[in-house]
Formats: sequence, structure tokens, C-alpha cells
Amino acid sequence: MLEALLSRLGLPGYEPEAARQKIYGVIGDFDTPEDLLRAIRTARAAGYTRMEAYSPFPIHGVDEALGAPRSPLGKIVIVFALIGLSAAVLLQWWTGAVDYRLIIAGKPLFAFEPSVPIMFELAVLLSAFATVLGMFHLNRIPTYYHAFFNYSKHAGASNDRFLLAIEAGDPKFRADEVKLFLESCGSRHTEIVEA
Amino acid sequence: MARHTEHASDSYFLKPEAWSAVRNSLALVALAAWLALAAGYALDRQQFHFSYLVAFAWFASASLGALFFVMVQHLTGSAWSVTVRRLMENMMRTVPLAFVLIVPVFLGIHSVYEWSHPEAARDPVLSQKLGYLNEKWFIIRSLIAIALWSLFALRLYAISRRQDDTGSIEYTKAAAKWSAPGTVALFLTASMASFDWVMSLEPHWWSTMFGVYFLAGGAVGFMATLIAVCLMLRSAGYLTQSIREEHYHDLGKWLFALTTFWAYVTFSQYMLIWYGNLPEETFWYWKRFQGTWKAFGPILVFGHFIIPFFTLLPRANKRNLKLLGFFAGWMMLMHYCDLYWQIMPVLHPKGVALHWLDLAAWLAVGSAYGLVFWAGLREKPLVPVGDPRLEQCLAFHNV
Repeated sequence: MLEALLSRLGLPGYEPEAARQKIYGVIGDFDTPEDLLRAIRTARAAGYTRMEAYSPFPIHGVDEALGAPRSPLGKIVIVFALIGLSAAVLLQWWTGAVDYRLIIAGKPLFAFEPSVPIMFELAVLLSAFATVLGMFHLNRIPTYYHAFFNYSKHAGASNDRFLLAIEAGDPKFRADEVKLFLESCGSRHTEIVEA
Repeated sequence: MARHTEHASDSYFLKPEAWSAVRNSLALVALAAWLALAAGYALDRQQFHFSYLVAFAWFASASLGALFFVMVQHLTGSAWSVTVRRLMENMMRTVPLAFVLIVPVFLGIHSVYEWSHPEAARDPVLSQKLGYLNEKWFIIRSLIAIALWSLFALRLYAISRRQDDTGSIEYTKAAAKWSAPGTVALFLTASMASFDWVMSLEPHWWSTMFGVYFLAGGAVGFMATLIAVCLMLRSAGYLTQSIREEHYHDLGKWLFALTTFWAYVTFSQYMLIWYGNLPEETFWYWKRFQGTWKAFGPILVFGHFIIPFFTLLPRANKRNLKLLGFFAGWMMLMHYCDLYWQIMPVLHPKGVALHWLDLAAWLAVGSAYGLVFWAGLREKPLVPVGDPRLEQCLAFHNV
């Protein structure tokens, strides 16, 4: 009730829904991976759930700290591997034993022994495609615009800074509160970033 | 990282009474099994020599797997494997035992190898091969191979043990330097040994892939044994923090990868011979399709490859220590089936004929290897405490 009233007045941190959606989130930056990890854990403990970390290299434990689910890529790949495997069997059986029956060197029209290399190759080929394209898809590549780059010091994430974004989609998100919170975690430069 | 302190609770030394208890039971098994073997030698000499050869090939190949694997760790500078490496090194240290345990193989040359019979000189194919396949050179080649392996195994073991005291990085570098020529020497000489010990059982037959086939099987046998030993120590309360789920996950990956590599090599050998369809090559497989031997095809295809492949594929299964332990034992059995299938049809061409000597020989050779392995754990640390990568290994996480 009070919140609704405050947001109608447009006081800082209680902006109307429309204004709030223009914000991507709040980004803070940290000196070391350990500081970043500590900040993530503190933020999780404080109840924030929509977070993203940006760092120049992979940091062990970040996924767990962020509560990120395991990638479904493996499951996608096994499906395509099995498709490749069965496609190879079908291809060789149909061409050799159905469509163009030709006895070569006294071999059976279709046998598993010589088919296995093709089964293996097609399974690997489709797995490789599924891995790369699936990874692109899951990482939303290509993305032509990302609000992260509105953060003035975003280049640090490719160099020596460890950034943490708490996104506006978080149910607990109040821009000013989050800014204070990240500063209290030890962020050197905290910005409210536009969407 | 601050994580190190929480692992320091692990004891890196076996309790003397626990060590003695295991030593005593191994010695008891050794005593019983060697007595049984002696009885078998008196009762059925040919069966004895064949059963013994399977057992010897099992443990010799697994100890070579250990030697290979330790060298790979040094060459790649692996950090994940440091806490497991001392156990690998103790398995590698059993390599020189082959000097003693090959003696019954030498004694059995006439019972086992067709090329040693006088008729071989009249055989148009074999008579050409006798310059290579003869008793004197069989023994000389075997001893040279074992000597070379022992040189690398004992050298690498000594380097690692010395590092325990000083922690100097120079030992890490020295180990890598020894490992590079070591892998080359190992693959060449192990191919030679596998040609002599196993392939020459059918002296008319040849396969240039046989050496890799032998080593790939040995690597599977080694990795399965290593996982089993780690899990047994764990169940006794040792190394529970130093070899964690993360490390078992990687050991599981290796068991998976080596099983797949074995299948790749085994199948390549089979397919090329199937496709070439030349009688002088196909007869080896044809003999192994006779009678009950036919069952070993599916046993190896499913048991040694398809079942472990699909079971060990998902991440969760490699981290499930019960399942991993089961497959460690399973792959040890499968490595036995593989060697049994290569060797035994020569003695029993009509079909599988299991004999109590098969078990006795495996236990006898195994307990001898086990005792040498176990001797290396007495009052010595279970992990390479001086390795500069130890802390990195303790903090290791799979992505």
C-alpha cells in the first residue's frame, strides 16, 4: 500500500514500473576474484537472486555461488549423437541393402563391422555441431546489444576487474538500495546502469 | 586459498597396525595361492602355464599402465592428480617384480608356444620366423624390456620420493625430463613384449596393432585397480579429504576414456581383418568364434565397452562413488576376460574351460604384486607431500 503510493510519487528507489524497467541493474566492481565471490555470497544471503558476474577469466565456484543451474548442453549433444548414429545405420543399410544392391568382394550387403566407422563419424560430427551451435544458442550468441556495456568501466571485465551485476528483474531490486549494498560489499565503482 | 587448512586433517600415513593387518592378509593369500599353484604345476603343467600367463599378462600390463600414467601426469604437469599420484607410483614401483614372475613363463615356453616345438622348423611360415621367435631371444627381449621399464619406474619413483623431503621444483622438472623418453621407450618395448608374450601364441598370425591393444587393456586394468584401491583406503578412513568427489570424477573420466580407447583399438584391429578377409589373418578370430568362445564377443563388446560407456557417460554417475567402485571391479574382471579370450583358446580350442588354476594364478601373481605395492605404503606418505602442485590439487574443482 505504502509502496504503491511512494512509487506513484516517483520518489528515488520507488520509481513507477515504467521508469524502473529502463534500468538494467546495478553493477559494482571488485579487486580480486575472492572479493567477487564474497560479494556474490553476501548478495545471495541478502536474498538477491538475479545476478551476473563478469570476469576476465573463469573463476571456480562462481557458478555455485550464483546458483546457476548446470548447462543442459550435454543432454542436447547426446540426442544429436544418437541421431547421427542411427542416421549412419539407416544410410548404409538403405544404400547398400535396399536401393543399390551390389555385392562387393563377397561382403554382405549390409553388415555392422564396416558400418561402425561411419556410425562413429556421424555421431561425432552431429555432436560437434550440436555442441558449438547449442553453446551459441544457450549463450544467446549473437547478441547485438547488451546493457552491460552502458556501465562506464565495462572494459575492466576484460582486464583486471571483477564485476557483479544485480539485475533489475530481481524481485528485491531497488536501485538505490542495491547500490548501497554493493558499496558495502567493497565495490570500488558502483553504477546504476540503464537498460 | 583458505581451503587448504580443512584438508590438513587427513592423515598421510597408514597406522602401523592397519598396515600390518593388510600385509598379513595379503601374505596369507599369497601363501595359499602359491601352494595351490605348486600343486597345479604338478597336476596339470600345461593348464598351469596357460593360467599363469593370463595372470602374469594381467598384472604386468596393469603395472605398465601405471608407469605410462605416471609419465603422462609428469608430462602434462597435471595438478588434479597429485594426491592420487603416490598410489599410482606405488603401482608403478611393482614393474621390476616382472623379473621374478616371468620365470614361470620362461619355464613354460615349450608347453605354451608352438614356435618352440621341433615341428616349427618344418612349417613353411614358422621356419622363416624362427630367427626371431626362439627361446634365447624370447628371454633376452623380455629381460631387456623389463629392465628398461624398471629403469624408468624406479627412477621416477625415487625422484618423487626425494621431493617429499625437500619440496624442490627441480624434481618436478627432472620427472618430466625422464617421462618424455620413457613414454617412447615404453610403447616400443611393450609392443615387443606383447608380440612375444601373447601374440606369438598363434605364431602364424600377426597384427601390428597388438601392442597398442595390449597397453590399452593394461591401462584400463590399471585405472580400475587404482580406483578400487583409492576407494578401499577411503572406506578405511584414509585420504577422504585429499581424494574427494572431484578427484574421483576425474578418475572416472579416465576410466571412461581408457575403456573407449580400448574399444577403439580393439575394434580397429577386428574391422581391418574382417574387411581384408585374408585367411591367414581371419583364422585368429575364427578360432575365437568356435563353441562357447563365441560368447566372449558379446561379453567384450557389451561388458568392456557399451555398458561402461553409457553408464560412465553422465557426470552424476562418475561422481557416484558406489557406482564408480562397482565399475572399477567390473573393468578389472573385463580386462581378465579380454586376456583370457586372447590366450586360452590356444589351449582349449573347443570351448571355454574354466579351471581352478585360473583363479589360483590370478591370486598368486596378484598377491605378489599387492605385497610389493603395499610395502611402498609403510611409514611413507600416501601422497607426494613435497609436490609444488599439492595445494592446487587439494583445492581442485571440476568446472
